[in-house]
Amino acid sequence: MYVYGIIRAGHELPPGRQGVGSPPARLRKLCERSLAAVVSEAPDSLLARRRDLLAHQETLLALADEGPVLPMRFGVVSPDESAVAKRLAEGEQEHLDTLERLAGRLEMNLKVFSVEDGLADLVREDATVRRLREAAQRRPGYEASVRLGEAVAAGLQRRAAAAAAEALRLLTPLSEATAPGPDVPGCVRNISFLVPRHAVDAFRSEATRCATRLVSHAEVRVSGPLPCFSFVPAATHDGAPAAAGH
Amino acid sequence: MTVPTVYRDDACLQPRTGTLYDVIDIILDRGMVIDVFLRVSLVGIEIVKVDIRIVIASVDTYLRFAEVCNRIDLETDAHSRTLPDFIEGMSRGGVKHRAERKAVRGAGSKVKEAVTGKGDNGGNGGNGGSRRKSRRKDEED
Repeated sequence: MYVYGIIRAGHELPPGRQGVGSPPARLRKLCERSLAAVVSEAPDSLLARRRDLLAHQETLLALADEGPVLPMRFGVVSPDESAVAKRLAEGEQEHLDTLERLAGRLEMNLKVFSVEDGLADLVREDATVRRLREAAQRRPGYEASVRLGEAVAAGLQRRAAAAAAEALRLLTPLSEATAPGPDVPGCVRNISFLVPRHAVDAFRSEATRCATRLVSHAEVRVSGPLPCFSFVPAATHDGAPAAAGH
Repeated sequence: MTVPTVYRDDACLQPRTGTLYDVIDIILDRGMVIDVFLRVSLVGIEIVKVDIRIVIASVDTYLRFAEVCNRIDLETDAHSRTLPDFIEGMSRGGVKHRAERKAVRGAGSKVKEAVTGKGDNGGNGGNGGSRRKSRRKDEED
């Protein structure tokens, strides 16, 4: 049984949404007291396919439109219905509290990458890079080139990190909480914001302004709104509440 | 117990309305996990295939940066990108074979000299001259 997320028992399933697998599995609500799990049959072999990732993501997004949802990580499978019901019952109060905390809120994700566009500026502004470049020109060679390249890479990353800090300074006030995202190659900052639904548009336009202004220093990419993946307890075990990653 | 997972390119490659592509790390790495449930094994999945502009950390990257950095050298003196620099930049950009690249570069610097009216002994003073020499030495290596 594939599990998408946990909702309040009164929360209706979005019409027309389908689950993972091919052909797509039918979504069902598995109610236990005041909670419900959104589930479907698990396909025989579940792959991290684009199709299935989208089914997971879009089901949760559609659910989030109608009320709070605790999104499961992609690929969570329960042996049977009774195991799901048991976990819902055990974590009932904790889940209800988290649903309450996330009601009316969505996640926005910001990723900042370093860019090469700023290289000319870096050469002009960074004394170390200038010095190493001159050294490499006086005595060209592998060592000198590596040292120069290393300094350039570090400099570009510093520029991007400074841009990320600036974006964070402007965007954090528009959110209620932040949570660091997983490490992504090439990404100097990956962070998610918990944003009230009514502030999502404002957040997005501020992020776009930031991205435009910082374009020579970093590539700023904003995604969302998303279900609050980064603001639910990562793992629940033995009914003990785990802290959300703030 | 986990179900073996096969990585599929089509999972991550194309951005779709800019969503899945940019948030795949979140979907695969955040969200709730209930530990008594099974989770599909994601071992072997390259979590995010970003169209990486640069991957910092490899010596190859450093060497490429150094080359680009040396190319920028002329721009620093001129404050902005001039036509000769641009031609030189192009000549180093797209040509694959070393000999061809050399030839094009040669042509580029000829055009540059024509445009700036600077020959080998004109130039940007002593410093510029020696720079040019050292670059040339580089090419001959």
